[in-house]
Amino acid sequence: MLKQILSKLPRKSSKSADNREHGGHHNAYYSNVSGGGSRSSDFGTGKSGNLSVSSFAVSNSTADVGWKSADLKQNGNHMLSSYEAMPAFKDVPTSERQNLFVKKLNLCCMIFDFTDPTKNLKEKEIKRQTLLELVEYVTSANGKFSDVVLQEIVKMVSANLFRSFNPQPRENKVIEGVDLEEEEPSMDPAWPHLQIVYEFLLRFIASPETDAKLAKRYVDQPFILKLLDLFDSEDPREREYLKTILHRIYGKFMVHRPFIRKAINNIFFRFIFETEKHNGIAELLEILGSIINGFALPLKEEHKVFLVRALIPLHKPKCLAMYHQQLSYCITQFVEKDCKLADTVIRGLLKYWPITNSSKEVMFLNELEEVLEATQPPEFQRCMMPLFRQIARCMNSLHFQVAERALFLWNNDHIENLIIQNRKVILPIIFPALEKNARNHWNQAVHSLTLNVRKIFNDLDPELFKECLLKFQEDESKEDEAEAKRENTWKRLEELAEKKAFHSEATVGTSESMANGSSG
Amino acid sequence: MSTVEAPLYPIAVLIDELKNDDIQLRLNSIRRLSTIARALGEDRTRSELIPFLSENNDDDDEVLLAMAEELGVFVPYVGGVEHAHVLLTPLETLCTVEETCVRDKAVESLCKIGSQMRENDLIERFTPLVKRLAAGEWFTARVSACGLFHIAYPSAPETLKTELRSIYGQLCQDDMPMVRRSAASNLWKFAGTVESAHLKADIMQMFEDLTQDDQDTVRLLAVEGCAALGKLLEPQDCAARILPVIVNFSQDKSWRVRYMVANQLYELCEALGPEPIRTDLLPAYVRLLRDNEAEVRIAAAGKVTKFCQILSPELAIQHILPCVKELSLDSSQHVRAALASVVMGMAPVLGKDATIEQLLPIFLSLLKDEFPDVRLNIISKLDQVNQVIGIDLLSQSLLPAIVELAEDRHWRVRLAIIEYIPLLANQLGVGFFDDKLGGLCMQWLQDKVYSIRDAAAKNLKHLAEEFGPDWAMQHIIPQVLEIANDSHYLHRMTLLRAISLLGPVMGSEITCSKLLPVVVNASKDRVPNIKFNVAKVLQSLISVVDQSVVEKTIRPCLVELSEDPDVDVRYFAVQGLQSIDQVTMSS
Repeated sequence: MLKQILSKLPRKSSKSADNREHGGHHNAYYSNVSGGGSRSSDFGTGKSGNLSVSSFAVSNSTADVGWKSADLKQNGNHMLSSYEAMPAFKDVPTSERQNLFVKKLNLCCMIFDFTDPTKNLKEKEIKRQTLLELVEYVTSANGKFSDVVLQEIVKMVSANLFRSFNPQPRENKVIEGVDLEEEEPSMDPAWPHLQIVYEFLLRFIASPETDAKLAKRYVDQPFILKLLDLFDSEDPREREYLKTILHRIYGKFMVHRPFIRKAINNIFFRFIFETEKHNGIAELLEILGSIINGFALPLKEEHKVFLVRALIPLHKPKCLAMYHQQLSYCITQFVEKDCKLADTVIRGLLKYWPITNSSKEVMFLNELEEVLEATQPPEFQRCMMPLFRQIARCMNSLHFQVAERALFLWNNDHIENLIIQNRKVILPIIFPALEKNARNHWNQAVHSLTLNVRKIFNDLDPELFKECLLKFQEDESKEDEAEAKRENTWKRLEELAEKKAFHSEATVGTSESMANGSSG
Repeated sequence: MSTVEAPLYPIAVLIDELKNDDIQLRLNSIRRLSTIARALGEDRTRSELIPFLSENNDDDDEVLLAMAEELGVFVPYVGGVEHAHVLLTPLETLCTVEETCVRDKAVESLCKIGSQMRENDLIERFTPLVKRLAAGEWFTARVSACGLFHIAYPSAPETLKTELRSIYGQLCQDDMPMVRRSAASNLWKFAGTVESAHLKADIMQMFEDLTQDDQDTVRLLAVEGCAALGKLLEPQDCAARILPVIVNFSQDKSWRVRYMVANQLYELCEALGPEPIRTDLLPAYVRLLRDNEAEVRIAAAGKVTKFCQILSPELAIQHILPCVKELSLDSSQHVRAALASVVMGMAPVLGKDATIEQLLPIFLSLLKDEFPDVRLNIISKLDQVNQVIGIDLLSQSLLPAIVELAEDRHWRVRLAIIEYIPLLANQLGVGFFDDKLGGLCMQWLQDKVYSIRDAAAKNLKHLAEEFGPDWAMQHIIPQVLEIANDSHYLHRMTLLRAISLLGPVMGSEITCSKLLPVVVNASKDRVPNIKFNVAKVLQSLISVVDQSVVEKTIRPCLVELSEDPDVDVRYFAVQGLQSIDQVTMSS
């Protein structure tokens, strides 16, 4: 990658000796250059001459290297000493390459502060180049990675990736609070390095030279947990990489599969029951979608529990829109694999059915149609009563998209057949809704869709239709009466309660009953 | 109703209502559970209602939440404390449902009931319930269990106590992070009931395990409770067991952990003696004040005064004051705002010399901050400032800041400064006020935001109270009354609002001679909104002026308005006339 071969020019800086103790032993390679000179002007300090881009190997024993202390803010006291590039792989004998690889990995463990774009430009570029070389090395490696190498790889990846995300700037929350919805995803300024590290990790996991049996000692449970923590990143590019990488790990490391599923479950539970905030739910569901796709039949009990305990409750959070497509895919996968699950799923949807959020309701109806598509008559019959009570409510929704979407169910042949077969149960449930819409729904489209549905029933079974109509008219005339009766019942209950209270107090004793008598 | 009263079966009514399709009706019936219980009587409530409720747990979460809440106050309806245990069964089921709100409410109700129960019932009924939940198959039961130990523990016999401690220890190491988080956040409650010897051994072991958990979220909650835990320990134990953990956490990689420490540090100091504060906590705190992450500095800056109060003045001046100087120039406005809201409290700690020499420059620079919240936070603590350095030194810096805030483009900022005007008036005195601030107070009456105009009217009332009617007569009333000729009807509305507030303060005489004529005049306004506001103001002035004035001036005006073509004007005029009649009748 580095084309110039440059003259050896070791330099010495005036930095104090204790800096050397920190950096000295990493610094086997040096040999520098003023090739970076054009950039060094950015630094504007006399020290820039010490930075070097090198492509020359020199023996390990050299201690006399260029020093530079950079004012890195990372955890207070990191000293950046003598951060210099190392020779290219092709410039060292094959036997030396593995050593060089490890050393380059070590070099890349240094983390730079990207919040200040003017800082450490030179070092950042050296690291970027080195990371690219590492990617190339991993991609073209032949021969299994040894224990030491695996350890160093994981160390470098961990040092770079595992960080805690910065809080959102308060300005976004307070002043611009109004259009939170259109908020730009925040991009990690360190991405120029992170991206290559992710690319490196991906190639490493995918490499045929990575032996899962050896690597599982380093790509272990804590490593996976930390990787999963990163899914909360605000940066969509980062989540995209994580998704691909985790999927590869799941594929390659069979031993970790149950653990990964469990850990993802825990993320879901925290999201559903505690925080309702997580950026990576869609990506995790996408991985699961493909995992579920591969489940063998008959489904294991464990997987069904996952459906009921995690996937179905995922319908609850208000930010469902962020991951609904992926969730819906997972759910329909389950139903398509085992149609006996259909009524469980439908009852689950009913449990979490939105009450005030119309756009969420439309999503539920979309998903419902997909599930019903795969539902067979026995399961349908098991849940049709509560289901159509809900559908009736949707048909009456003042939000025309909700009403329209509910009425569209009749456009689906499979669903229409299920309904027609069970019309004796379904029509009485939805009849009042049809009638109310036909009389006075404000929206023209909803109105005419309703008339269509009504016509379907009327043509098919005029007798049943008439029966329902009569029942509806009768109920309607009694509506006020029923309301009055309910009020009366509660009033009588209240009176009864008062009377009882009085009696029991009277038996308790005089002083107490005197005291409470006035309030009772 | 017309039919003969059919016999009434309370349980049947409830069952029937709970079958209804309409969730609102189901919710209403649950909210009236106590009526049903009282109608049934205590015996049948125990033998019929409670068993029914125990089985009816398949409803919407909304309904279950209401049920969990109602059951918490149900002890009187089941026959008092000796029967309280029958309530445990339905609540136990509610502790295991999925919805967090329902579980939390059920735990809360169980704690309420448990704390009234007799010792024997606690041992025989309550503790077994806690153990069952703790061994629950699904995490929801175990999460709920963590919040109940502190009720069960105190009355348990020795062997049971040992068992409870060991169960809690297991919950701290549960397989599910959800359970460990619950154990971590409830640990201090449980710890408060445990004997000191076990506290040092068992509980501290749990605390240490939790602080080393794999999951960040668990560690975070462990830190959150550390100060409460520390206060339960002897100072030397706290120094030995909790301090190292906290000092370690103050350098954690995750800013959230450091943020939590910054919030807890002061509380923890209260549990420690002066020596460990000086050697360990002070350096940790100084590090947090200089943290890389603004959120951490915000949390730390907000505690700066409290922290100084427990230090000796020398230490505060030597270690904290330099940080305060840096923070006052921090790049984040929120850090500066947090500092500004507390920094004046440092003055009494530092003493007069250090305050004038070191604190005053900081204070003045914050008062000139470009971010309005910073200035506002300083001004809101004006009384503290005044005590230490005196008003003269202050007023020349103060005035430009106030004037600028008074015209800030965010109306909330303007609102905040208006609310501090009475305080300022009180501190600065009449002379200063007349010269500089009087104009501003009038200007706000014509602000384009309603809340500001309203606050401005209230402010005039406060000023009139502060400086007395004579002053108000001279400095407020004439200017206010001029608004009557304003061409904008909203400004004329503000005038009416101001009059209704000022009337009671100014007293009957001035109201009759100066204010009332303006109001009566406004009743001829062409805008109906003005007219019905006139009716409202007249109504409010009835109690201020004499009966004769009411009859002579107010009544005729209202009568005229009650024949207005506008329906709203008529409505409020009639209201006004009615209250005149009421006053006349009662007197």
